[in-house]
Amino acid sequence: MTKKARPVAAITMLVMFAVVPLLITPAGAQQLSDRAKQVGGKFMCMCNCNQVLTGCNHLECSTMSAMLKELNQSVSRGDSEDAITQMFVQEFGTKVYAEPPKSGFSLVAWVLPSVYLFVGTGLVVFVISRWRKRPAAFAAAAPGISAELLERSRAQASRETQD
Amino acid sequence: MDVFGSFALVLAFVCAVYAFGGGIAAIFTRHPLLIKSTRQAGMATCGLIFVATFSLEYLFFSDNFSNAYVVAHSNRDLSTFYKIAALWSGQEGSLLFWSFLLAVYVLSVLVTYRNKNGELMPYVGVVMAGVQIFFLTLNNFVASPFKALASPGADGVMNYVARADGSGLNPLLQYPEMVIHPPNLYSGYTGFTIPFAFALGALLARYPGEKWIHLTRKWTMIAWMFQSMGILLGAHWAYAVLGWGGYWGWDPVENASFLPWLTGTAFLHSVMMQEKRGMMKVWNVWLVFSTFLLCILGTFLTRSGIVSSVHAFAQSSIGSWFVGFLLLIITVCFGAYLKNRDYLKSENQLDSIVSRESSFLFNNLILLVSCIAILSGTLFPVFSEWITGNRISVGAPFFNKVNIPIGLLLLFLTGVGPLLAWRKTSTESLKRNFGWPLGIGLVAGVIALVFGFREIYSWVCLILCVFVASTVGLEFYRGAKVIRARSGASFLASAVDLTLRNTRRYGGYIVHVGMVFVFIGLAGAAFNRDIQKDMQVGQTMQIGSYTLLLQGFDSKPEKNYTAQRMNVEVLRDKKPLMMLYPEKRHFSSNEQNGTMVAIYSTLKEDLYVVYAGDSPETNMPVLHAYLNPLVKWIWFGGAVVVFGTLVAMLPNRRAVLVLAGAPQPAAQPLAHGLTPSVTLREGHD
Repeated sequence: MTKKARPVAAITMLVMFAVVPLLITPAGAQQLSDRAKQVGGKFMCMCNCNQVLTGCNHLECSTMSAMLKELNQSVSRGDSEDAITQMFVQEFGTKVYAEPPKSGFSLVAWVLPSVYLFVGTGLVVFVISRWRKRPAAFAAAAPGISAELLERSRAQASRETQD
Repeated sequence: MDVFGSFALVLAFVCAVYAFGGGIAAIFTRHPLLIKSTRQAGMATCGLIFVATFSLEYLFFSDNFSNAYVVAHSNRDLSTFYKIAALWSGQEGSLLFWSFLLAVYVLSVLVTYRNKNGELMPYVGVVMAGVQIFFLTLNNFVASPFKALASPGADGVMNYVARADGSGLNPLLQYPEMVIHPPNLYSGYTGFTIPFAFALGALLARYPGEKWIHLTRKWTMIAWMFQSMGILLGAHWAYAVLGWGGYWGWDPVENASFLPWLTGTAFLHSVMMQEKRGMMKVWNVWLVFSTFLLCILGTFLTRSGIVSSVHAFAQSSIGSWFVGFLLLIITVCFGAYLKNRDYLKSENQLDSIVSRESSFLFNNLILLVSCIAILSGTLFPVFSEWITGNRISVGAPFFNKVNIPIGLLLLFLTGVGPLLAWRKTSTESLKRNFGWPLGIGLVAGVIALVFGFREIYSWVCLILCVFVASTVGLEFYRGAKVIRARSGASFLASAVDLTLRNTRRYGGYIVHVGMVFVFIGLAGAAFNRDIQKDMQVGQTMQIGSYTLLLQGFDSKPEKNYTAQRMNVEVLRDKKPLMMLYPEKRHFSSNEQNGTMVAIYSTLKEDLYVVYAGDSPETNMPVLHAYLNPLVKWIWFGGAVVVFGTLVAMLPNRRAVLVLAGAPQPAAQPLAHGLTPSVTLREGHD
């Protein structure tokens, strides 16, 4: 990029993307969800909609109404989040959790993604280090199949196929 | 007509069995007549499936209420538009529709390669016929859509009966996108059968690994594009119909559609490693196998009832068939791999860790981690029930917490990858390529902070979006500048010319820009607001800068339902802006209710208004309003992704000219005596 063009490109980019935060920034005071709404997001609606309690999509869902009513009562009593959780778990079982609790067997659900990432990263690093140590003409030295056979197969594939 | 359709399905099954068995015999005997006859049997299978599908559609259009499937999913007042969609609204019809779309692909492949790839095609034909046999088995013997209604007469003999009218279509499916969303999604699912068939066929034929990649690239891209469109249209349907204010709830059906998309995306990236460097051959074969397996697994999950879903309209005890099919595919894939894996050896070494090759490896890692994390999260309720006896739900909060960081990492790699050179990237090149994009991204981040941006994930996402868009913008700018200097054309014309010269590379960049738009839209979700209120006529509700005034109600009788509408006037800064009419619909044919959301959509935000029924306490109508920032960017980004994919599928302008004119120079042999594994007719980046 020429020295002349750089500022033009930079300003263009800035103007384009500076607009994005302006679009997102709340124009006025954001209406924060009340505590009931916040706590309600931690439970599933038990009407089988497979949505969180505050996001049930069933029109006039009686299950959601009843659960929200209980929730509102608990919140207005000043019950702790743990107490509300206990109340719902006693009533509906562990199915009511919107996310697995971070204890007992459920901890596995939280740990697994990190395990995948670490094991995967380890594998990628291992593969990269192996590839870096590999001689250039690796195919010729590949066990189980000779370079001639590989080349014959490749020639055959080229002969037998057209794009 | 139901007998006709049923008979066509039986014949299709017979033809598919012949195509499969005859194809195996053709592989061993190489007899030209046998090869030809099995190919024609494959074509006949497809033709007969078309006949069966059109027969079922005819039953819908002719209101033939002697057919059990038509009775269950249609009624006389259902509009013609939705009678098309009724085909895939239930288990039996959707499986037939699956066979239909698969037949479209199979026929396209058989016709396209009828005079080409003679040695490979019998293998491919056998695999495709094998998949067709499975679905035709379901269509014929497990879930036939051509069952006639019958009831026992006085003499105990079953008599055919016909109903006066049907039960009607599920109200949730009576929305325009339901006519285009499932065909797109199913086209994605079924489309991955083609790269799978070529990959398995090539492995069985002991091809070293390059040709099938080259042959199936466009098929894979077509399937991927349909899968992308299907996912986004499904998200839009959920947004506009379900009325909960969101577009993605990490529902098992949504997850099932996302899994093959992730592995398919990984494949479309890692395939370049194989084409360019002869590496990752085993990985690519298994990525294609996994993508196809995930398509079948997803279908199993959503149809078996093993996980519950709001999107599953076709659950039954059909799951065991899918389990059997999955096990069979896994066995065949493993067997073929173990037998012929020596033909998939990599041929190159990695020169540097800071290279395009490494970025592809990490890109694949992130996509795969996301895929496995979503899969294990989706299945966790089942596992928890097996192991502990208690079913523990895994809902949207879990998936968001796990996948948002992964998504941001992927977005970062989207920006980094294209800037790294193959083999090795020098420090100078890193500075030159990353300096400006990184600087622009950070400046955007500072601007966002100044304007009160305090959501950390959205903030990081914004910086990365600007970074990625800047990298792509600079790539276009640099390339177009060179063309402009030579041709003297305008900058825009030069950018178009640049794209057409290397459609794959620049089409890919356009796809990346589309993904940036999608991510911008997703980042807006952190700022969603909503308010719900029992309303009386004349009352107002405030959300953001909007004032909603309930002016009244009216009733709108339609042919198939009656809509109760709220007439809501929207004011901004006390000035009238527009009217919105959120609806509550009652479908008398099946006594079900549904909603129809009213949305005022701008690039800045969506004002999303739902008539949420009547309050049980006050008996007053409830208005639920949401203010969802930047949602429109998601749909726009989706359109850009599709456009970019179409561009990437175009032949290069230069390649077309070469093919039409001058002969190409002969390829120079490589130093070690091997010919290049792939002739790079098109740009590969």
